[in-house]
Amino acid sequence: MSLNTLAQALVSGALLGCFYTLMALAFSMILGVTRALNLAHGDLIILGGYLGYWLWSGSGLHPLFLVPVAAAALLPLALVWQWLFDRLPEPRELSSLVLTFGLSLLLQNIMLALWRGEYRLIASESLTGSLTLGGLRLNQGRLIVAVAALLVVGGLFLGLTRTRWGRAVRATSLDRDAAALLGINVDAATRTTFLLAFCLSGAAGVLFATLHYLYPAGGIELTLLAIVLTIWAGVGRLRSVLVAGILLGVVEALTVAWGGPRWRETVVALMLLVSLLARSGGLARGWSH
Amino acid sequence: MGRPGRIGLGLVAAALVVLPPLTGFHPYYLYLVSTALLFGTVATSWNLLAYAGQISFGHAAFFGLGGYGAALASLAGLSPWLAIALGGGIGALGAAGIGLASARLRGAYLALATLAYAEIWRGVAHNWTTVSGGGEGLIGIPPLPTLGWLPLDFTRGRAGSYYLSLAFLVVVVAVFWGMLHSRLGLAFAAVREEEERASLLGVHPLPWKILAFALSGFFSALAGGLYVHMVGVVEPDLIFSRYFSILPLVMATFGGLHTLLGPAMAALGLYLVSELLLHPYVPAFHQLPYALALIVVVLYLPGGLSGLFTRKPRGAA
Repeated sequence: MSLNTLAQALVSGALLGCFYTLMALAFSMILGVTRALNLAHGDLIILGGYLGYWLWSGSGLHPLFLVPVAAAALLPLALVWQWLFDRLPEPRELSSLVLTFGLSLLLQNIMLALWRGEYRLIASESLTGSLTLGGLRLNQGRLIVAVAALLVVGGLFLGLTRTRWGRAVRATSLDRDAAALLGINVDAATRTTFLLAFCLSGAAGVLFATLHYLYPAGGIELTLLAIVLTIWAGVGRLRSVLVAGILLGVVEALTVAWGGPRWRETVVALMLLVSLLARSGGLARGWSH
Repeated sequence: MGRPGRIGLGLVAAALVVLPPLTGFHPYYLYLVSTALLFGTVATSWNLLAYAGQISFGHAAFFGLGGYGAALASLAGLSPWLAIALGGGIGALGAAGIGLASARLRGAYLALATLAYAEIWRGVAHNWTTVSGGGEGLIGIPPLPTLGWLPLDFTRGRAGSYYLSLAFLVVVVAVFWGMLHSRLGLAFAAVREEEERASLLGVHPLPWKILAFALSGFFSALAGGLYVHMVGVVEPDLIFSRYFSILPLVMATFGGLHTLLGPAMAALGLYLVSELLLHPYVPAFHQLPYALALIVVVLYLPGGLSGLFTRKPRGAA
C-alpha cells in the first residue's frame, strides 16, 4: 500500500468518523439517561434513511433539506420508545436488550413491507464528485456529511452545556435520584433526551442514505458501531465520542484499504467483542465532562 | 406436572409421532413441522444455558457452526449421521470457547458478546471462501440415508429428517429434565442466583458456565447439522441468520424461562402460526408474532426475564 493510499484512507476514514459520532450520540444519550440499551438504534437510523429516500425521490429536493424533515418524522416514535422504556423491569440493561431486539425485528418487518428488500441510495448529483486537496482526493459527499454531522454535534454540545434543559439532561444522566432531589424535573429531562436522540437518529439516517445503500436488515451494523463507540468513549463524554468516532472511522477505512469492503462488518463485530472483553465493567456511567 | 398435564403431553407426543402418515407424508408440511421441531430443540438448549444464568443473543453461531461442520464433513464423504454428530461437537467447542472468553461478562454484556460472536462467524463464513464457499455457500449436501430395517415411508425424504428432528427434541428435553433433577441443575441454579456465594460454598462457577455453554451449543449445532441436510445447501446468511439467535430467545422466554416444556411448545406454536396462518396471507408481516411475543413477555408477563434474577424458577419441580 502506497503512502498516498494510506493518507487517503486516513482522511476519508476521519470524515466518516464524524458521521459515526453523530450516529452514536443518540445511543449513548439514551443509555445515559435511562440505563437502557437500544438495540433498535440502527434500525431507527435506517428508517430515517428510507423516509429521506422516499421524500427525495418524490420531491427531488436537495438531501440536506430533508435532514430536518426526517429528524422531525421520528419524533412520535420517541414517545413510543419512552413509554416502553418507562415500563422496563429490572435488570434494566438486559430487559432493554431483549425488548429492543423485538422492536428491531418489528421495524425491519415494517420497512420490508413498505420498501421491500430493495437496496436504496440517495444518489443526488450535488453530492457526487470530489475535490483535490494537496494531492488527496476528497469525496464531496463524505465531506458534506462530515461537516453536517460536526455542525449537529457542535450544536448539541452547546445545548447540553450552556442551556438549562441541557444541564437537566446531564444531571439526570449523572445521577437520577440526586437530580430529582435537587428539584430537576427528571421526567421532562428524560423526554427531552428521547426527542433529541430520535431527531439525531432521523438526521443521521438521511446522511447515511447518501453514503451507503439502505436495506431493511442493515441496522444491526450501525447499532454495533454505536455500542463500540460508547464503550470506547464512555457514556456522555461528547469530546471523547468525537475522538472515538474518528478513530473508528480510520480503523474501518484501513480495514477496507487492506482487506476490501467485505471484511467491514466482521471487523465491527470483532471490535465489539474485543472491547467488551477488555472492558468488562458496565457501560452506563453517566455524563461527565 | 399434574395428571392432566401428563395426558396432554402424551397426546401431543402421539400426534407428532403419527403426523407423517396422517398427512400422507406431504413433503411441505413435514418440512415445516420438522423446522418447528428444530427450533424447539434450539429453544430448549437456549433455555438450558439460561438456566445457568447466561442469556445468549448469538445461538445462530452454534447453529451455524454445526451446520457448516456437518455440511463439510458430509461433502467430504462422511456418513450424514457421523457428519451431524461431528457438527454437534464443533458447535460445542465454539460455544465453550465464547463461554470461556466471556467468563467475566454478565447479563447484558454477555448477551452483546454472543451477538457479536455470531456476527463474526457469519463474516468468517462469508470471507473464508476456500472452505465455506463464500456468500454462495455449499450445495449438494446429501439427504439422510434411508434405514433398511424400518418401513421405507418412515425414513425416506422429509419423513426421515422429521423423525430425527423429533428425536433431537425428545433427547434435549430429556437432558433438560435430567439436569433439573440432578446436582447439575443445583449447580447451574447456584451459578445463576448467587455467583459469588456459590463460589464461596465451593461451587466454582466457571466450569459450570462452560459446561452449560457446551451442552447448549452441542444441541443447537446438532439441529443446525440436521437442518443443512434437510435443505441440502448451506449459506452464511441462511445458517448464521440472526433469526436463529432471535427466535430461540423469543420462544424460550415466551414459553416460560426455565420451564421444561414451555420453550418447545412455544416454538411449535409460534413457528406454525407464523408459517401456516400468516405467511400465506400477509407475507411481509409473518414475523410479527415473534416481535410482539417478545415485547409482551418483557413488559407484562410475570416470570419473564426479571424472574431470572429475583424469583425461584417456575416449574422447576
